Amino acid sequence: MSGDVVLSARDIVKRFGGVTALDGVSFELRAGEVHALCGENGAGKSTLIKLLAGVHVHGSYEGEVRIGDQVACFHSTRDAERAGIAIIHQEIALFPEMSVGENLFLGALPRRHGLIDWNQVYARAATTLAECGIGLDPATRVADLGVGQQQLVEIARAIARKPRVLVLDEPTAALAQHEVNALLELIRELRLRGTACIYISHKLDEVFAIADRITVLRDGAAQGTLDAHATSVDEVIRLMVGRRIEDFFPRRQPTRGKTLLAVRGLGVAATKESPPLLRDIGFEARAGEVLGIGGLMGSGRTELLLHLIGLWGTRTSGSVELDGSPLDSHGPREALRDGLVLVSEDRKRFGLVLPQGVAFNVSLSSLAKLCRGPFIDGDAEIAQTKATVSDLRIKVHTLDQPVATLSGGNQQKVVLGKVLMTLPKVLLLDEPTRGIDVGAKLEVYELINRLTGSGKAIVLVSSELGELIGMSDRIVMLCEGRIGGVFARAEATQERLLAAAMGRLNQAA
Amino acid sequence: MKKFATRELSMAIALVVIWAFIAWQEPVFLSPRNLSLLSVELAVTAILALGMLIVLLPGQIDLSAGSGVGLAGAVAAVLVFWLDVPAPVALLIAAIGAVVVWAGMGALIAIERIPAFIMTLGGLLVFRGLHWLTIHNQTVPVVEGGNQNLYSLLTTYYLPAGAGYVLATAVVLALVASMLRARARRKSHGFEIDDGELTFLKLFVLAQFVLLVLIVTNSYRGVPLALVILGAVATLVHQLTTNTPFGRYLYAIGGNEEAATVSGVPVRATIIGAFALMGCIVALTGFMQTAYSGASTSTVGSLMELDAVAACVIGGTSLRGGRGTVLGVLFGALIMASLLNGMTLMAVSPEIKYIARGLVLALAVWLDLRMAKGS
Repeated sequence: MSGDVVLSARDIVKRFGGVTALDGVSFELRAGEVHALCGENGAGKSTLIKLLAGVHVHGSYEGEVRIGDQVACFHSTRDAERAGIAIIHQEIALFPEMSVGENLFLGALPRRHGLIDWNQVYARAATTLAECGIGLDPATRVADLGVGQQQLVEIARAIARKPRVLVLDEPTAALAQHEVNALLELIRELRLRGTACIYISHKLDEVFAIADRITVLRDGAAQGTLDAHATSVDEVIRLMVGRRIEDFFPRRQPTRGKTLLAVRGLGVAATKESPPLLRDIGFEARAGEVLGIGGLMGSGRTELLLHLIGLWGTRTSGSVELDGSPLDSHGPREALRDGLVLVSEDRKRFGLVLPQGVAFNVSLSSLAKLCRGPFIDGDAEIAQTKATVSDLRIKVHTLDQPVATLSGGNQQKVVLGKVLMTLPKVLLLDEPTRGIDVGAKLEVYELINRLTGSGKAIVLVSSELGELIGMSDRIVMLCEGRIGGVFARAEATQERLLAAAMGRLNQAA
Repeated sequence: MKKFATRELSMAIALVVIWAFIAWQEPVFLSPRNLSLLSVELAVTAILALGMLIVLLPGQIDLSAGSGVGLAGAVAAVLVFWLDVPAPVALLIAAIGAVVVWAGMGALIAIERIPAFIMTLGGLLVFRGLHWLTIHNQTVPVVEGGNQNLYSLLTTYYLPAGAGYVLATAVVLALVASMLRARARRKSHGFEIDDGELTFLKLFVLAQFVLLVLIVTNSYRGVPLALVILGAVATLVHQLTTNTPFGRYLYAIGGNEEAATVSGVPVRATIIGAFALMGCIVALTGFMQTAYSGASTSTVGSLMELDAVAACVIGGTSLRGGRGTVLGVLFGALIMASLLNGMTLMAVSPEIKYIARGLVLALAVWLDLRMAKGS
């Protein structure tokens, strides 16, 4: 089973600005093995994969990647492909209007006399599909296939290039159980033929069903490589979470007031036709309280918040009440008027008008209140913006400085200032500390304390378990669109939260 | 700030070069009569361009404006000349009609998400057809020969010399007052301000400019009413875009529509409102352009939408939305109006005129993209 080493990474260090994403990671892959990579969101798995795929080019990182016994110098994703590395990404990247056959060989379609030789395209496609054990007609339009079948086509496309190394990044996120089984069967087949696979998944039962070895990453460092047959799920979770020195979280004791946000039996689907993505969600947030919401990528955290302010999905069941009166999803404008605001995880996309100034952005949601007659009262606007800027300690030269020129932390504070100026009752904070430095993080935590102290309710969504435990009074963990577990602050440990997020609460408890 | 100044300066140089070239070829360009006519032409071009600014700011466009100009003028002319409706009533009916139709287009764009480019391209053809149907492909004068009415006076009335002096003084005083107040306000808020000398210089140049316009127009027939209308529209649009929530929303939607939505900006209502305003301005421009030609003919308004877009872009308005000012658009319109007037004086053939307009439009957009990349 364990053949020659086909790929190795040694002492890889990769930095983005001041953030170290990979901190001396070493890793090796042998022919004919399935090697699983496990780790929390942000542990460095994707960065490592992008390095192997040639997205992060040679020279942008320290350490070396070897293919066989040669140092790999990838300057583009094409170089990586030529070296025999094929990557299957989480999102499906097929051309829906083209046939399965075209998709399989796109970029390398067989030709005769300069024209595409369609007979050969379909003949070779049929052979490849048969080899993979996929019973599909190569002339089928991809758009007519289900998501699971599309994922299989994507894998067949990677296999058609006869790669030495196949990387699968969360390949089963969109698949139903029988499709997962078919995929795992296919991977076993490839293993017998000597292909080396890197398998990334949050689903540990899959990992244990398929992997020969497991490497756990945490905070950009490899925590060890385990023999899958000689370890346990608990051991892997323990390594993923680790025992790091807790960050400093200044959460004060809450004074719980009346219920401001009540969600009961909520089910939401992306569109009227599709099955619900969120099912049976129920929680309450009280005045003076921080309710933490956690979950792995794809668990529906962000969708839940977007639905609450009326930006996403169709409600299929349940109710939402804001301060005692029902909140039906109309749109952000109505939610804002009723006192519910969102600070998005993607502040450049959903938070800021980047070319405009600080005052423009901070006052944007409160202009109606700042009017005298039909006109904006410029003095009042500047006075209130100034108060906000000094209150949140936003570092700016002038109030008309474009927000695009501010640092991440200050941009985040501008968004916070904007929603605070509307005097909200409930704040939905989606990853409020993502991409900002430690100092700004602490200021955000302090602000959360001040806001709950003044009787606001906060819903804090975070993928950092430490942050959730440190800042929340209660924590709801989502798992694939459902509630995987609810914890009081005292009973929350990273192990238990992660187990709940993976739907394995009982085993790990 | 520096970049903006370079842009202003290069526009001023371009204008001087254009004027010098035309005057060298045709000295009559600088005669009081021609400059007076130029100011009326400027008013028509600039008013439509200001409407286009309102539509471009939230990232939309109106290609139907030129056809709309022809149609609105035609409807009013037919009401007055064939149906004997009093001119003020005729103008009001045509204007209300335009507002309703443009609000409808805005609703289709904002709610049904039809791209503005396609929606108004369709409008261009539909309105052109309706225009020709309305006048039965004939020439419909705006007033019985030799008479006057409100419609014809839009571009033929000139203020008496005395009224011109009073108006010019008032304009200069208003400019001084508003500039000084804005400066004081910026200073008290700790914003960047120009130093005192530069402010004085700007005011001095502005006052000189107003005086020059007054002297030139008074040595022909007086300040044209059209120029006064332009002043009023420019002031209104400036106030609207800079000092009202609606104006802020225009910039916010053009700058980042998703963030605007999350921030509670009424995106749909704002876009519909922008098009309704455009309808009002299209009607006004239609009346003025038709009055300037003396009659509604099948060519009135043709291609004016492209002149309006070109004026906006030359004046620093971004076609992707979120950037643009009234002052810049006025400057861009002056360049466009000068080019068109000059080409007519130099008896440039229509073929070459088309080519020149097309090149200017493409050049302006190319320069705008270059500048956007640089910043």
